Formats: sequence, C-alpha cells, structure tokens
Amino acid sequence: MTDTSRRRFLQVLAGASAAGAAMQFPLQAFADPPNGSDEFFLFIHAAGAWDVMLGLDPRNERRGLIEPPNTDVLDITALDRWNDVALDGDTRSFELVRPTGSNITFGPAIGELGNFYDRVTVVNGLAVNTVSHPDGTVFAATGRHLSGGRAPESSIDTLLGNEFGRDKLFPVVSMNFPSWFVGANLDRRAMPLRTGSVDTVGRSLSRSNLNTYDADRDAVTALLSREATELAARQQFPEVFNGMGLQYEGLRRMLASNLRSVFDGTALAAMYPTLVPTAAGARYRFFQTGAVNAAFAVEAMKRNVVRCVSFSMGSFDTHNTNYRNQAMLQQELFAVIARLIRTLDSTPHPTITTDRLSEHTHILVVSEFCRTPQINLSGGRDHYPNGSALVVSPAFRSNFVYGSSDPDQLLPRPSGMFTDGMRAIAPPDLLATMLGAFGVDPRRYMRDGEVVRALLRA
Amino acid sequence: MIRVQPLALLALVAPLALAACDSAPATTAVTPRPTADSGTSQPDAPAPTDSATPPADVPAPPADASQNVPSVPVTSIPGHESLPQDTTHKEGPRLMPAETYIRSYLALFGGLAPLDVQTRARGADGSALFDAWNDYLAALGLPDYRVDQPRGNQTNALMMATFERLSVALCDRAVERDLRGTLPVAQRVIFAFDPTAAAPTAAEFAARFDVLHRTFLGYPAALAETPRAARFFELYNGTVARHRATGAAASRFTPEQAGWATVCYGLARHPEFHAY
Repeated sequence: MTDTSRRRFLQVLAGASAAGAAMQFPLQAFADPPNGSDEFFLFIHAAGAWDVMLGLDPRNERRGLIEPPNTDVLDITALDRWNDVALDGDTRSFELVRPTGSNITFGPAIGELGNFYDRVTVVNGLAVNTVSHPDGTVFAATGRHLSGGRAPESSIDTLLGNEFGRDKLFPVVSMNFPSWFVGANLDRRAMPLRTGSVDTVGRSLSRSNLNTYDADRDAVTALLSREATELAARQQFPEVFNGMGLQYEGLRRMLASNLRSVFDGTALAAMYPTLVPTAAGARYRFFQTGAVNAAFAVEAMKRNVVRCVSFSMGSFDTHNTNYRNQAMLQQELFAVIARLIRTLDSTPHPTITTDRLSEHTHILVVSEFCRTPQINLSGGRDHYPNGSALVVSPAFRSNFVYGSSDPDQLLPRPSGMFTDGMRAIAPPDLLATMLGAFGVDPRRYMRDGEVVRALLRA
Repeated sequence: MIRVQPLALLALVAPLALAACDSAPATTAVTPRPTADSGTSQPDAPAPTDSATPPADVPAPPADASQNVPSVPVTSIPGHESLPQDTTHKEGPRLMPAETYIRSYLALFGGLAPLDVQTRARGADGSALFDAWNDYLAALGLPDYRVDQPRGNQTNALMMATFERLSVALCDRAVERDLRGTLPVAQRVIFAFDPTAAAPTAAEFAARFDVLHRTFLGYPAALAETPRAARFFELYNGTVARHRATGAAASRFTPEQAGWATVCYGLARHPEFHAY
C-alpha cells in the first residue's frame, strides 16, 4: 500500500468512526432540547398489567387469536364511550373511538382522555419479553430485567431526579412506584422518597411541640449531619455516611418549609376538587388515592419543591371474573390523567411566569405487559408479552402512535431500525427517549435502549 | 537392605556440619527481647533479667531493635504459597434492615409487642407523638408484597424524617417514665442514671452520656471516633438554655428533661445506630 492510499484509508476509517459515534447518540442533531431544570416529571404505573385492547391498542373483531372485549365478559354500564358493535348473537363488542382530528384510534375505556388526543403520544407493540409481574414492572421502570430479585439499573424517575432534581427539596417522591436507586454514579439526594401514600409522608413530617421545640430537634439534626460527615471522612467507603449527611440537611429544609398541607390528602382534595372529587357519586370508584397522588404532584410542582413524582394505580390483574371491571378501571385511570392535564393547564409554572405548568410537565404511563388476546376458562385474561405506553409531554410528538402489534396475535411488530436491526420498540428504548428528550445521554445510565427520534418533536 | 557408601555419607554430612557452624551466631541474635509485658513471654524463653547489662554471649541490641525482629512472610508457610492476605474492607456500612430497627425500637421501649408500643407511644394526652405502625412501614424501607414494593435498603430524607418522628416518641415517653417517675434506676431501660441536682459539669454529663451511648450504640462514648461527648454536652446545654430563656414557649418538660430528651433523640437517630 502506498503512503497516499494508506493515508486515504485512515481518513476513511476515521470518518466512519465519527459517523458511528454520532449514530450512537444522535441528540446532537436535536435543536435545543428543553432545559430539564425547568421541567417536571410524572410517572404512573398501571399495576397488574392492563388490557390494551380496551384502550390504547383497540381490537373489536375476532381475528387470529383475538377474542375482542365484549359484553359477555365486561361490565359496560358505566363506560362513557362504549357504543355497541355486533359480534355474534347477543354478544356485542365496541365501536372504535376516533375523535375528529385524531390520528389515534382508541378503545372505549379511553373515556375523558379521548378529548386530549392532540396532547398524547401512544406507543404500541412494546416488546416486554416477560409475563412475570415483578420482572415486567422493573423492566418497564428501569429498562432492565430483574437480576436475582433486584434491578440492575436505576428507574427513570431516579435518573431524571439525579439529573435535574438535586437542588429540589424532594428530588423524587415515589408512592408504590417501582423506583430503584442503583449504582455509585448517582447523587444520594436523588434517592426516591418511597412511601405508601401522600398522607403517610405527612405523618412522618408531623411534629409535636408539647415537650421539645422545633429548634431543639433542628439542633439535633445539625449535630447528626456533622457526625455523619466526619464519620464519612474516616471511611474507606464513605458513600452511606455522606448520603446520610446530605439527607439530614434535606430533612432540615423539609421541616423548615412548612409543607404539611402538601402531604395532607384531605387538604389536597379541597384544593383540587375537580381532580379529586369528594362528593358522593362523583368520587372515583377505584382510584381515589391515585387522584390524591396526582393532586400532590400538582401542588408540589406548583411550589417548586419536587422534580419527579411517581406512583402506581393498580388492580389491573384480572385473570377471572374480575376482568369485568377492567374497562372501568382503565376509564378511571384515563379520567385521572385527563383531569390532571386540565389542572396543569390552569396552573402557572413556578419559575417561568408566562408559562403554564402543563407546558413543562412530562407524563409517562406504563404497565408491565398486557393481557392475553384470548379469554380464559374463568372469563378473564392472563399475562401476555406485549405492551403499550402513554406519553403526555410537550417534548414528544403528540396525536401520534408509534409502533404496532400483530393483527392476529397481538404481539409486537418491528417498528423501526435500531443499531441491532429492524425490531419492535422495547421499554429501554422508550426510557432512553425520555432521557434523550432532555439532552441526557442515556449511555451514562443505561446499558440498553436507544433514543427513538421519531417519538420526539422535531 | 539398604547399603550406604561411606563416601556418599561423608558428602551428605559435611555440608550439614558447615551449615550448623555458619548459623550458630544467628541463633543467638534472635533471642527474644525483654518486653514490658512479661506475662506474654513464652515459657521456654530465657527469663528477662533486671540487669541493664546483657549477658556476655548476647550481642547488644541495635538502637532500633524492631529492625532486627524477624518476620515470616506468609508465603513461606506451607500451604500458604498462593493464599491472598487482604484485610481491607470490601464494603462500606450498610443500612440496618427495617425489621432489626423495629425490633431494637420495641426493646428500647421496654420489650413490648408492636401494638402495645403503638398504644403507649400514642398515649392519651393528645401529644400526637405517634400515629400507627402502618403509617411508617413503607418509609422505614419494609417491602410491601401486596403491591410488589421491594425492600428499601438505602436511606432517604423521608426515612430520616421517620426516624426522627419515632425517636421523639421513644425518648419523650422514656423521659416521662424514667426521669419524671419514681422508677428505680435498675429498672430503667434508657435513662438508667439519676440526673444531677444542679447543672452537670462536663464530667458529670459524660458519665451519664456514656450510659446512653452504650445503650444505643453499644460501646463506650470515649471510644467514639468523633468528639461525641463534648458535642452532645453542647447540645444539652443549648436545649436547656432555650427552654430557660425568657419568653420560651411552654413545655411539659423541665429544661433538664428537655436537654436529656434531645440527647436521646441524637443517639436514637445517630448514623451508627442505623448502619452496621
């Protein structure tokens, strides 16, 4: 090989390497991703695995393996958007829901959220590759399957809290959400505050001044913060004591901020009556607690004390006759989200006074997998390795469906070209896209997953 | 029968004899040094003499005698040729499991059952020191298998808040029982001492603090890696001063009781109480 041709070969090689690097993380191509420090994040886990054929990936005909949702197995009395379509004999399925102007076709359980078709992004045909609840739950939240009962990587709320929430009083508040904090490259202030419900946080923060004063307890916390920091300095592995030192300081700020009403379910219901109706007949049948959690998220964002709120809304695991409630469960879930959007629309952003909170709030709704296309002998549906997700985010393309499932088997179909070839989108891709939308390189945290540019606004 | 050739025997014995001659002075050089702790000397070793002059056949030790102490590399011990000897810590402190914390809490409360502790901690005095165990379990890190909630094995600020909430209930009730009541010292679980009649000196405080330190952290306060007794004495005095100050809010505790209560809070919430 002559000198000239060798130089040319090396130039081509260098060019190819640069192109490869650019392909790995194509965010450079995006114009000005939103500044995460003004954004808020909300993650909802539809626990138990929802039936996507009723909401986000609707089916109303028998085809292949598919037995569509129908009046034999469902209670449809309270469904707002159910319109009969004959299936056979007396059995009826539903008319697909497609509001005027919508590019998305919904099932009847979409309810009130159908009015917000222009604000939502639907991801169908998610390759979840599991039918185990714990595994699917962790996979949906972290992008990794369980490893010996533990998540090998952090969940999406922790990652975004670590990126943008370290200055917040509550970087991540997690209420029964599968939040995981894994690895040494995270700030311990981003450790999710895991709790069962908003009210229990309030109880942990309440203090009696009958015997000792706030100042007395604050002096104790200050002393302990100092002790933890000094103990950490003597440790070969100082992370735990360092973390405690930071958390003692966080506690001092929490208690000094007089946030009791933020963590009081009754007070929240009074503040947000549309989101959390309390009158008899108007209350949610299944998700009153979920609605309180959503109200907490709005109030905490409004006060600028939180970055990520994540919670679960459960009971979707319907293997037998409890499947009759599946459609109503979904309708309530989507109603909470619709009312949440409406509330965010009417709430000003805490730091950008010209903007509404909804312009800077990003909501991701996931479930661990979906339910079988067949009805089982008990009249319910079992676990099935396909999934759907819902995104409500100004950073995502709205009124848009990405991915699809097989028309005969309800299994994920290839949705696009990834570095490992043509395949269906998987939870890690969706989570990586959520990070990439805010200029965070997913490779800093995630082993798997690629940013799906088609999901993001140009 | 084995026949030994005389010439071969000579060849075998001669090097051994020479080696014995060469090693003789070295043998005298490793005579054990007299040590301050004569109780640890070996029975077969020569008894240390009181005389400042060593025996004539023992060379005088060098200025730095420790340089002459023979060391035996671990690899020279049979079977240890490839045995790694690494005593460094491989893992930092870890959070105590929530069950262990709750068990300790119940024991410190007087060894009662959880519901009894809940009843006594809540009390009937309207002090709202405690709610119900169910309100704290998730924040303490206990798993909830009803909702596939895994165990929380790392601390967070909410867990710290819960530790504070629980420690206030524990210590305030202990002050009421131990310091305001007539319980004999021997029957007290936490404040197993009599407070001083006047303001305690640093030494008087340290002696009482040591009792609490051993109860909560399991070792004497003097061995703590931080200036803990002095630091907690400052905390005690600060609390007493706040409660004595003119215009201070009413409290059901005397200033001294409030001071001891805050010391108790500090130990029940101490990082060493929660990590191992």
